[in-house]
Amino acid sequence: MRFALAWRILTYDKGRTALAVVGVFMAILLVFVQLGFFIAVPQGGMLLYDRTRFDLLIASTGYEYQVQPGEFPLSQLDKARTAPEVALAAPLYFGSAKWRSGEDGKAPDVFVIGLDPQDRIFTSEDINRQLAVLDRADTALVDRMTRPMFGPLTTDRVVEIAGDKVKIGGDYVLGTGFMGLGVILVSAQNFVRLFPYRKLRQVNLGLIQLKPGVDPDRAAASLRQLLGGDIQIFTRPELEAHETSYWTTRTSVGLLFGSGLIVSFIVGVMVVYQILATQVSRQLPQFATLKAVGYGDRFLSGTVITMALLIVLAGFFPALVAALGIYEVIREETLLPVEMSGPRIAVVFAATLAMAAASALLSMSSLRRADPADLFS
Amino acid sequence: MITSPNLGFWQRSVGFVPLAWRSLLANKPRLLRSSGGIGFAVLLMLMQLGFERAFFNASLEVIRLLDGDIFLQRASKYRFATRDPFPGRDLEAARVVPGVASAWPLYASWHEIFWRNPADGKDFLVRVFAFDPDHPVLSLPQLDANLKDLSDLDTAIVDRRARRFLGMDPPPPAAELNGNKIKIIGSFALGPDFENDGTMVIGDRTFAKLLPNPRGGAPDVELGVIKSNPGSDPVTVQRAITAAVPTEIAVLTKGQLLELERRFQAEVSSAGPIFAMGTLVGFVVGMLISYQVIYTDLADQQPQYATMKAIGYRTRYLVQVVLEQAALSALAGWVPACLVSILLFRVVGQLALIPLQMTAELALVSLVLTLSMCLISAVLAVRRVITADPAEVF
Repeated sequence: MRFALAWRILTYDKGRTALAVVGVFMAILLVFVQLGFFIAVPQGGMLLYDRTRFDLLIASTGYEYQVQPGEFPLSQLDKARTAPEVALAAPLYFGSAKWRSGEDGKAPDVFVIGLDPQDRIFTSEDINRQLAVLDRADTALVDRMTRPMFGPLTTDRVVEIAGDKVKIGGDYVLGTGFMGLGVILVSAQNFVRLFPYRKLRQVNLGLIQLKPGVDPDRAAASLRQLLGGDIQIFTRPELEAHETSYWTTRTSVGLLFGSGLIVSFIVGVMVVYQILATQVSRQLPQFATLKAVGYGDRFLSGTVITMALLIVLAGFFPALVAALGIYEVIREETLLPVEMSGPRIAVVFAATLAMAAASALLSMSSLRRADPADLFS
Repeated sequence: MITSPNLGFWQRSVGFVPLAWRSLLANKPRLLRSSGGIGFAVLLMLMQLGFERAFFNASLEVIRLLDGDIFLQRASKYRFATRDPFPGRDLEAARVVPGVASAWPLYASWHEIFWRNPADGKDFLVRVFAFDPDHPVLSLPQLDANLKDLSDLDTAIVDRRARRFLGMDPPPPAAELNGNKIKIIGSFALGPDFENDGTMVIGDRTFAKLLPNPRGGAPDVELGVIKSNPGSDPVTVQRAITAAVPTEIAVLTKGQLLELERRFQAEVSSAGPIFAMGTLVGFVVGMLISYQVIYTDLADQQPQYATMKAIGYRTRYLVQVVLEQAALSALAGWVPACLVSILLFRVVGQLALIPLQMTAELALVSLVLTLSMCLISAVLAVRRVITADPAEVF
């Protein structure tokens, strides 16, 4: 009965209800989008990790985040390799250099990743297959997501990087994330040729692959013992927690999208409240009549809550569909893994229900004015 | 003696406003509700617009502080915050060009110098600017130090508004830069941007010690800061300097330098579209709310409008009253939203250390957006008045 009444009131004035649904749709969509960015930004920082194969990451104690990892001695990785649990210990070298072959004579900075081409560390077999090219002197693979200002990225083009001539040996797609405007892969040997002040014996990161069946947490503990306190070891979940907290607490990302999230939520409440309050005051005589014939306050407020729920539910599902489309666009534009996960839908759905509850609560005061005695005054 | 003001003009021109004003005030709870609804939509737009401006302003702030009107930089430099210096002799070539009053170097580093927080011993990348202490080329905001003291080796001034984990507020007496002990002789208040957590200013000698020129001699110049003689035509001076320096050097006015940076930020970051979308949502939601408000008002007051029509008021006049009322509800939402966002900007700006500010421009843009969203919805809703039929009223 409550549902039937709420439904009748809403469908009685279809245009107005449609407006309310559109408003709620926009507000929920904005909540989804803000939440998407809130999560996408840390994931941009995880891009390289997400697309490489490793169980443990060894880093210097000064490790800040991916692009500011600090350095530690290669000998630590050699030592790690002797542990019975370890299948592979691959060094990574990071550097930034001027790409002096950009468009309009500009020299954008390119992020250079140095690695051992024998280590097939990428999840993408397409990249692993191409790594052999890097054994040639002064040859690099370039990420296709590198910005247009770097000029054409055609294979065999010779470009000038940090004063050296480097040949593009091929391209791959991994995504540049927050590593920079452009990213290239080179062999460790070519890396130290590009950066003469860097030494092979000082590495930035070590990727550890464990033998099948080894528990990462236990292996991390025994490696910590083996390698001593000069380095830190992250398991994958620890690494993700570390990077996420870096981006949300150290940068302005958290506040920026967090406050956008809150305001869009309030705007949603306002829209629903607006519609409910109007409907209630327009139907006030009818509500008063219901009261007069014996329906209690609980029934009336139940009707208002049902109306609120119907409006937000009608807005939620189209917003979910539209958000899927927008996430798709963000994914394609940025290559960030912005995905509509179950928990995310659940969170926004809960927020939507809260929206309905808050607006219904706000419009109760109008309902209380429904006084049968006023009916014929 | 006080002369009584001539009220005639006011009475005539304001004569019709009280109708809109009164029907707005007729139902106070409804006014509260509608200004709340519109206000939150405006607040959403203000926040998104404010964030967008803060994002771009943060990266332009330092360029604005440069104390000069013509600048030399390497032509290959694609943005301000990247190290791409040129030999000092090119700046000297510019210094002797007629019309040039002064030409001094700015040295800079964004990704090479690490600051060790003395409180916890952790290292963080910092942005470092350096110049000849006798010829400062950067006007540091709220400077609390004697720049001359920077001529002593291993001295620095730090940014009190740097991110807190750097430990620069209050300025510690000493710290380390790339492993060198540095004495802190004062501070200024600049604040981080979206890439740099904190800023330091050091003397040119200290800079040369931290980042020695690989070719020996004085460090290469990141930016040549030139002041032209008062009275000389800046365009002519700029052209003369361009002719005097090699083609690898770009000669730019401050406007051009700012434009280069703004274009880079707009091209590379997705901040523009992100915040534009938030603003659009605020606008549409605000329109829906104000349509709702105005439509309900009109529905409730239809008998009154029909009566006015019956006693001879023209439709034109009634439409005008509706539009005025819409404009008034726009203001009723905009004013509190503006006040709240001033407060919110201050709080978020302090917490996030970003230059969130309510400016006249921002207030004006949001006012125009608010008025147009309310007026558009009034135009959509006004059909009800036009169709008000006096015969149907009773």
